[in-house]
Amino acid sequence: MKIAQLRRTVQLLSLAGMVAVPLLNSRGINAVSGSFYSVEIGRLLLTDPLIAIQPLLATMTIDATLLASALIPAGLALVLGRVFCSWVCPQNTLSELSDAVGTRLGGRRFFAPTPGPLVRYTVLAVILAITLLYGFPLASLLSAPGIISVQTARFIYEGTVGLELVLIGGIILAELFLVRRVWCNHLCPVGSMLSLFRFKKTMRVVMAEEGEHACIHCRECAKACQLGLNPMGGEIAPQCHNCGACIDACQEMTGERRPLSFRF
Amino acid sequence: MSKHFLRPPAAVPEAEFLGRCIRCGKCALACPYRAIRIAGLLDGLEVMGTPIIRARQSPCYLCLKCVPGCPSGALDSRVKKREQVRMGIARINRKECLTWQGTFCRSCYDHCPLFNEAITMDSELRPVVNEKKCVGCGICEHVCPADSAAITVIPGGAG
Repeated sequence: MKIAQLRRTVQLLSLAGMVAVPLLNSRGINAVSGSFYSVEIGRLLLTDPLIAIQPLLATMTIDATLLASALIPAGLALVLGRVFCSWVCPQNTLSELSDAVGTRLGGRRFFAPTPGPLVRYTVLAVILAITLLYGFPLASLLSAPGIISVQTARFIYEGTVGLELVLIGGIILAELFLVRRVWCNHLCPVGSMLSLFRFKKTMRVVMAEEGEHACIHCRECAKACQLGLNPMGGEIAPQCHNCGACIDACQEMTGERRPLSFRF
Repeated sequence: MSKHFLRPPAAVPEAEFLGRCIRCGKCALACPYRAIRIAGLLDGLEVMGTPIIRARQSPCYLCLKCVPGCPSGALDSRVKKREQVRMGIARINRKECLTWQGTFCRSCYDHCPLFNEAITMDSELRPVVNEKKCVGCGICEHVCPADSAAITVIPGGAG
């Protein structure tokens, strides 16, 4: 089975969950409650690591419960890479969709000149420095998945949405007309924080250099990547969010040969 | 400085609240009365995404269901009883209040959840707020029949 089919299913389930939670909560069913900032499933609290460290920086007090609730998401990133971004995040789903439509309509965009993680870590550092200096949780206002989920809940509860959605619209427009996939690839602080949790065994896309699995240099993998990464060009790990599009494209071209695959 | 809003019950003091609240919206999801609203950009950049209560539209009924769910401690889970809540203090504008202007009305007195404690009647049957007992839930503000509520909650009791 193609990775894409599995991933689409997870993406759709995530979107469905995002709508179902406020719908159920508004009817008094609270077994699952929260948003992409922080969600409580039964008694298990899961918080976005970026969001969880904010009160620590802003108020200089340690909230053990909140910090502990970021361990599972951080651990997931440590093992599987930034799969939250590619498999769950509603902003990525939206961006992917608009990118696919834009490409089909013949839109011409370019990739940012620096393919590395320098921009993303600089942006993250600036945001966290502002939180530390001004005691203000800026990242909460810049978490696209958080905003989308909270505004969905607001729409269900209040029948209105906030101007925060301007950020989401701005991201889509910038990605369509300026730099391709610039938010997910270079700016999003949520993804940048998650990409800090990695070590040499973290799941990543690996290309077989030689032997029966050797690459046939068709470049289909690089063409398939919306983030403009080239799996044939060596280390792509900090930017790659393990969506698997390159592996699907590779298998399409090479069949049983399978030069590209996820490895730990 | 953006203007102050009424916060959900058990909120920590405003300055700390702005640093602690992660804007996750969970308290709003927990509120069975949909009284907790999510502030938007128009309410001020500083408060955007935080929970606010517009008491005139929809006050807090002090069920405290929002409190235990708060993941960040912006709502203090040590607050278990409604008497412990300090969202603000109601203040009567005697120039607008029907009773103080001579028309008999006891809406705020009748509806106060801390009945005959937070709002009492003086010797001439005019409502008076007992600042030591008032928790600032805003039910009085919600039910006040005057055109623009003659009794309003000053958030945080800050004055």
